[in-house]
Amino acid sequence: MTFVETMTPRERVLSALAGGPVDRPPVANPTNVATVELMDLTEAPFPDANRDPELNARLAATGYTELGFDSIMPYFSIIQESSALGCEMQWEQKDNWPTVRMTNPIWKGPDDVHIPPGFLEHQDTIAMTRSISILKEEYGDEVAIIGKTMGPWTLAYHVFGVEPFLLMTIDDPDMTMRCLHNLKEISMLFGEAQIDAGADALTFPDHATGDLVSGEYYRRFLLEIHQEMSERLGVPLILHICGKTLDRMDYIAENGMSMFHFDSRNDPAEAKTIVGDRIGLVGNINNPVTLYSKGPEEVREEVYRCMDAGIDMIAPECAIPLATKLENLLEIPKAVREWCAERGE
Amino acid sequence: MTVAERARPRIMEVIERYGRCMELVPIDPNFHDISVALYEKHGTATVWTFSRREGVEDRIRQIRDQIAALGYMEPVDGTYNQLRPPCGVIHYRPLKFLMMQAVEKDPGFTHSEGPVKDLRSDLMLTFESTEVDGRTVYHVTGEGEARNPAGRLRAITGGFVRYGEMVRTEDGGVSFNCRARHDQLMRLLLPYARNVSGTQDMLDADALRGQMTTGTLGFTPPT
Repeated sequence: MTFVETMTPRERVLSALAGGPVDRPPVANPTNVATVELMDLTEAPFPDANRDPELNARLAATGYTELGFDSIMPYFSIIQESSALGCEMQWEQKDNWPTVRMTNPIWKGPDDVHIPPGFLEHQDTIAMTRSISILKEEYGDEVAIIGKTMGPWTLAYHVFGVEPFLLMTIDDPDMTMRCLHNLKEISMLFGEAQIDAGADALTFPDHATGDLVSGEYYRRFLLEIHQEMSERLGVPLILHICGKTLDRMDYIAENGMSMFHFDSRNDPAEAKTIVGDRIGLVGNINNPVTLYSKGPEEVREEVYRCMDAGIDMIAPECAIPLATKLENLLEIPKAVREWCAERGE
Repeated sequence: MTVAERARPRIMEVIERYGRCMELVPIDPNFHDISVALYEKHGTATVWTFSRREGVEDRIRQIRDQIAALGYMEPVDGTYNQLRPPCGVIHYRPLKFLMMQAVEKDPGFTHSEGPVKDLRSDLMLTFESTEVDGRTVYHVTGEGEARNPAGRLRAITGGFVRYGEMVRTEDGGVSFNCRARHDQLMRLLLPYARNVSGTQDMLDADALRGQMTTGTLGFTPPT
């Protein structure tokens, strides 16, 4: 049976984010799909492509123009606003992710948290907003442009350091909450700037991951803040948390966001059972094994597993490995279409 | 020029023409940090990059010729970027090491023709080959002092099985599954086979680079 698409990529993504009908589940990239080969193709290598809006837009666009995904995500990493806040950066080379040197934290407590003058004009924030403007102008009618703003928990790791911040959550939960409430204003500001630049939706990574904190932590420290963010930001939000998160999905489903981008360590069918229709799910093709080291057949199997489970948007579980083979990425939209053709949906 | 117009050539066309990507080296330190891949279709390997930098074709030809010199495949006449194995078999696992050496080492690099020093003993290692029923069988040999030379040579032979995709023979040797003679491939593999755990650590570190995980982001200790 032949499957016929009846929606544009943008219509498909926005309808899925709103919980509406779709001709097929969109293939999205809430984190990113940049690879070293795509960097060569577009002459936009890391680290420069993270810091220069034109290079950034050129590389980001390939997710749609070359790979056939239904969205474009120009914010490849998780460090842009932390760089603008003054964190010490390690920009790395073309084949590795820029990171924040969290062993040298810039702040100690809630009173230190502030938005530096010129925050939105800093090279590493304006690279994102200008890139979104470029992409919106060139592709905005056909494809969904998704921005990204880091949640307060992730920002806290960057500005306070991971260990000091996690210790603070134990020693002084009230101080922790004050930190998170102050930091959320940075999430708001950068998110709004991206919306003004043309972002249709925002990914909201907030790394309260299963590796580090319990599900109860999510309820206690983040649920209300996430509910507030989803009300205030005014565009569909996609929460991203790595690791095992089944123990907090019941809370996540109550945060008012449109979707939750989840890790391959969580069974898609089990995840869907927990959240039901309260929040959409996006994911969760495995990165380190399947996309990085296996072939299209294995990618297809995982796509089919997600489709069978009723996952609302199909995507790699997180930012893909930079040396991912392109044939594996091309297989994701191909497999979605073929699943639809086989099932006659 | 629009963003889309810059993005040429089309990936689908490259994959249809050259097949699957077998190995990808993210950075060529000898030519503008471009990525270089080895694709394979119907037994023909193609050295490929999406870079369009000036001089890139000459660099790809150089890498292709290095792969031929350091390994076992032969250049395909009339091409600048293709090779074929004379034995008719692509030996996939050694390609990782072959590509690393052809791309990352100095373009004039050659294998050592003489013995190679063992890392765990004073043995000087080499290999010998014999022809048995139309199959080339290799035996690892060592000269010098070692506490348990037979055990050490068995371990190194195991390294060839692991990293060379070779099979053990009844007499304690190894051979390639194509049965053919590949002395250059043996020379390529010997430094890796003598250091099984070190090679595995290197491969693991290589695989982790460019992955975004809570470990690589610094949120948890690297695993």
